[in-house]
Amino acid sequence: MLPLLQIKQVRKNRDDADKSPLFSNVNAEIAEPEMIALLGVSGQGKSTLLRILASLTRADEGEIAMQGASQHQMDPREWRMKVCYVAQQPVMLGGSIEHNLKTVSLLHRTPYDKKLAERLMGELGLEHLEPGKHAQDLSGGEKQRVSLLRSLMLRPQVLLLDEVTASLDRGSKEKVERALQEWHRKEGTAMIWVTHDLEQAKEVSGTVWFMGEGTLLENSTTNSFFERPATELAQGYIKSPEQKE
Amino acid sequence: MSILALSFTLLFVMITMLISVWQKLGLERDIAIGTVRSAVQLLLVGYVLQFIFNMRNPVLIVLILIVMITVASINAAKRGKGLAGVLWKIALAITATELLMMGLLLGFGIIEATPQYIIPISGMTIGNAMVVAGLLLNQMRREVESSRGEIELLLSLGATARQAVQDAMKRSVKASMIPTIDGMKTVGLVQLPGMMTGMIIAGANPVEAVRYQILIVFAFTSSAAVTSIILNLLSYRLWFTKDLQLQPIKEKG
Repeated sequence: MLPLLQIKQVRKNRDDADKSPLFSNVNAEIAEPEMIALLGVSGQGKSTLLRILASLTRADEGEIAMQGASQHQMDPREWRMKVCYVAQQPVMLGGSIEHNLKTVSLLHRTPYDKKLAERLMGELGLEHLEPGKHAQDLSGGEKQRVSLLRSLMLRPQVLLLDEVTASLDRGSKEKVERALQEWHRKEGTAMIWVTHDLEQAKEVSGTVWFMGEGTLLENSTTNSFFERPATELAQGYIKSPEQKE
Repeated sequence: MSILALSFTLLFVMITMLISVWQKLGLERDIAIGTVRSAVQLLLVGYVLQFIFNMRNPVLIVLILIVMITVASINAAKRGKGLAGVLWKIALAITATELLMMGLLLGFGIIEATPQYIIPISGMTIGNAMVVAGLLLNQMRREVESSRGEIELLLSLGATARQAVQDAMKRSVKASMIPTIDGMKTVGLVQLPGMMTGMIIAGANPVEAVRYQILIVFAFTSSAAVTSIILNLLSYRLWFTKDLQLQPIKEKG
């Protein structure tokens, strides 16, 4: 069977004058839908990698394929409906919460699954919100969850999560973790989750991708990554994840 | 007006020059170039028009309209630097506007099909379309820059280019039309438009002059709308790469 997602020799250059690589030789494969934590100190290009995977940014080199179909050959819209990026900074569209949640059905002229939206509102701890409330008036944490929910309505095969619990309190964070794990089990969605929260990575992921030294340095099961990291960089990172290189 | 009287108008240029020198505005060079250019261009146009009016040859009329559209398009395209093929799209939008305007004006017999109506009214329509096209491109650049997050969010949910920039487009079209509409509201109260003033000075009955001015004001509004919409529909895809990603567009004047 063809792997769900294949990343081959991907390179991205910095935007500055000398065009030095931000990362290169990034290789990875998602064979089966799984939960992956994408770790690494800031500035390694974790978000950029996710954006490349979602076809929002162009890679300077390399090949990305989904079930054997190359990203270059697929209509970018079709690709993005299968591989969906959820940004760290949630963007609310003008109008109500409900309007935001309906975005996918409006864009693709598909029926709006109100039941699903309501269920997810509850699971993400947003049941207190009036659907008619102006989305711009929400708190940062509420926006982050509405933004996540809006993308879930697309039912992508691969979900790219960019620090989506960064501005949440502990309780809400745990709700989001549970809801996403539940979603993964039921829907069989693969997730690549950028986080700086190592407890979260241990809790939710089965695999860790660790970025460092300008590439994808380690790719192992979550257990072996945290117990026996292969590189010194990863060992140091596990001790103090927030430290810059 | 005699040539002597015309020469005296250089006094106005001297006042401007003196202010520039006195206030160290550094505009002397531009003022000199502007003075020479406007005088030469206008005198030349005067003779060309005189020639065309006498010839009454439709080919010449078309030729002069083509020149007007070309110059207007090149000028407006400066606002769309970095957008591939924007010049042709502007030219197409302005030409379509001009054809529509002239079609209606001549078709309904609002104006006579003679060079002395067609050329000045076309000149004004094309000039206004040029300003609107420039404003639209400028505004669109700003909108795309400031709504980057919103546009990329929509793209990430599988939107088409059109769907992703719909709101930014709407805001830009609106912004590009506002000056024309505002002008419509204050015309006659704040400024007496050039054409009307010219006609009155040349001895026309003010009421007659006003009728033509009304025609121009109304024609301007719809030419602004038509140019803006057409140019937008032709150019919105230019803000994206072929992979449907937002172009990295640098801020330009």
